[in-house]
Amino acid sequence: MDRWFLIASTLLAVIGAVWGMRSVHRGHRSRWTVAWMTAAFLCQLGFLSLRGEARAACPLADRGEILVFLSWSLTLFYLLVGPAYRISLLGVFTAPVVVVFQGIALIPGVLSAHPTRIQGGNAWHETHSATSVLAYGALALAAVAGVMFLVLDKQLKDHHLKSGLFRNLPPVRELLVSLERLLRLGGVLLTIGIIAGFMMPHDQSATGHLIAALAVWSAYMLVLVIKKLRGLTGRRLSLLAVALFILSLGVFAFV
Amino acid sequence: MELICLGLNHKTAPVEVRERFAVGSNKLGESAAELVARTGAAESVVISTCNRTEFYLAASDPRAALASLAAHLAAKTPDPEAATAHFYQMERSEAARHLCRVVSGLDSMMLGETEIFGQVKQAYQAALDAGTTSGVLNRLFQRAFGIGKKVRTETSIQEGSTSVGNVAVDLAEKIFGHLKDSEVMILGAGEMSRITAQSLVSRGARSIFVSNRSFDRAEELASEMGGHAVRFDDWQKVLERIDIVISSTGAPHSIVQRSDVEKVRRARKFRPLFFIDIAVPRDIDPGVGEIEEVYLYDIDTLEQLATEARERRRKQIEECERIIDLELAKLNLPGL
Repeated sequence: MDRWFLIASTLLAVIGAVWGMRSVHRGHRSRWTVAWMTAAFLCQLGFLSLRGEARAACPLADRGEILVFLSWSLTLFYLLVGPAYRISLLGVFTAPVVVVFQGIALIPGVLSAHPTRIQGGNAWHETHSATSVLAYGALALAAVAGVMFLVLDKQLKDHHLKSGLFRNLPPVRELLVSLERLLRLGGVLLTIGIIAGFMMPHDQSATGHLIAALAVWSAYMLVLVIKKLRGLTGRRLSLLAVALFILSLGVFAFV
Repeated sequence: MELICLGLNHKTAPVEVRERFAVGSNKLGESAAELVARTGAAESVVISTCNRTEFYLAASDPRAALASLAAHLAAKTPDPEAATAHFYQMERSEAARHLCRVVSGLDSMMLGETEIFGQVKQAYQAALDAGTTSGVLNRLFQRAFGIGKKVRTETSIQEGSTSVGNVAVDLAEKIFGHLKDSEVMILGAGEMSRITAQSLVSRGARSIFVSNRSFDRAEELASEMGGHAVRFDDWQKVLERIDIVISSTGAPHSIVQRSDVEKVRRARKFRPLFFIDIAVPRDIDPGVGEIEEVYLYDIDTLEQLATEARERRRKQIEECERIIDLELAKLNLPGL
């Protein structure tokens, strides 16, 4: 049953992405993307609640669950940020990322077919896992906003202003403000996750994961500090948000 | 009861003729009531803008109503024959179609402009308040507003800016969003930069700095726009806080060099900076546009964008008229 929720959620995200892209191609706002993504979000919730029940803990025990939790977190932040800042196009850029993550989770073997109950759960461990993946959702959305900025920046620089995509992209300043806020939010959540990670009981095998997480955290903090003190061009901030997010996914290799 | 329309516009009459027949916006209702009384028509609406004056009547004897209306208008001019030659006359479905074209902005000087929609609504409301509309004109105007909205939402007739100033303002909004947090600097107090800066202020730009070789002229323009004058030798000092620079000096060489912007990048914390260069020869060295956070548009690019928008709007006319014909065909309006 949990797998069906995941399939439904992925299909809804596919519809959201295709619908949004077609609207943008025609030069219209993709008003329905938020509805498709809300439906996808509800299916993600269905999946996670069934897995959570089976695990009797936060469902972050295998890579498939981590990818779905990450997609859920990404969708959650999109639903919070997109409509609030009238960035409807954020959904058009978010939906394909959700499709890719959940598509990978659906590959046989990635998601445990028979989730087993986690014995001896620990509050620090669960806090570490949940806040870290939530942080990744915010950071993923920051990367999405970064991609949107890079597209808009290129169009403005090259004076290519005729496309439907250009008309629908939010203003440069709004994108940069959203990007920075998402980075800050991701940074705060990641900090909590890292602290919880050091507090939880861990053996030698978890050291690599924690070091990688600490490296990611340090890189994001460095970007935020440089942005605050010295300033960064929109292009560099966006490139860093995208590059760091892609590199930071490597942390899951140590899970 | 038949629908008739008599009018003149920017295509049929020069301004000296149009102004003779113009009706003030506060007298539209009164004028509609006067027409009903003089022409024997049952209903009337008077539309008057800077580019057109049109009289819509619903009368059981349209010929008599038209004759009375023509006589009434002729009395307003010393040369009635010459003046009335500028009028066009339409009846029934042709008049209804014309009203829909007007409301949709297809008959406007600036194709697709939106102001006309509100002006016709105002004229209709004045007639409604004066009690000069009933079964024919109420249904016609309400349908025309519906069709006008449909044309504007289903086509690109109002998309894109068709003047250099508006293109620049739209670009500024694409970069900065709401302009209320944006500061603007004008280099060279020319007419074109004044118009563009005024558009930015009307869309909420926070403050304006004016720098000109003649400081008196800078002060004059700054005071006119509620801004601050800056001596021409000092404009680089202000650049640190500015978001948008409009330049149109008469200088024979570049005024803004790449090094001028490079110097303030750190102090600006690399915030986006928009340069609008409407001078010929250009005031801003093209190298400035290569700086990451700078967006540079010169007069040729802006003019090209405006021309493309006008062309796109022109291509939409056929589609707009198809919608109008389709929607009018669905109706069973009385008087058509």
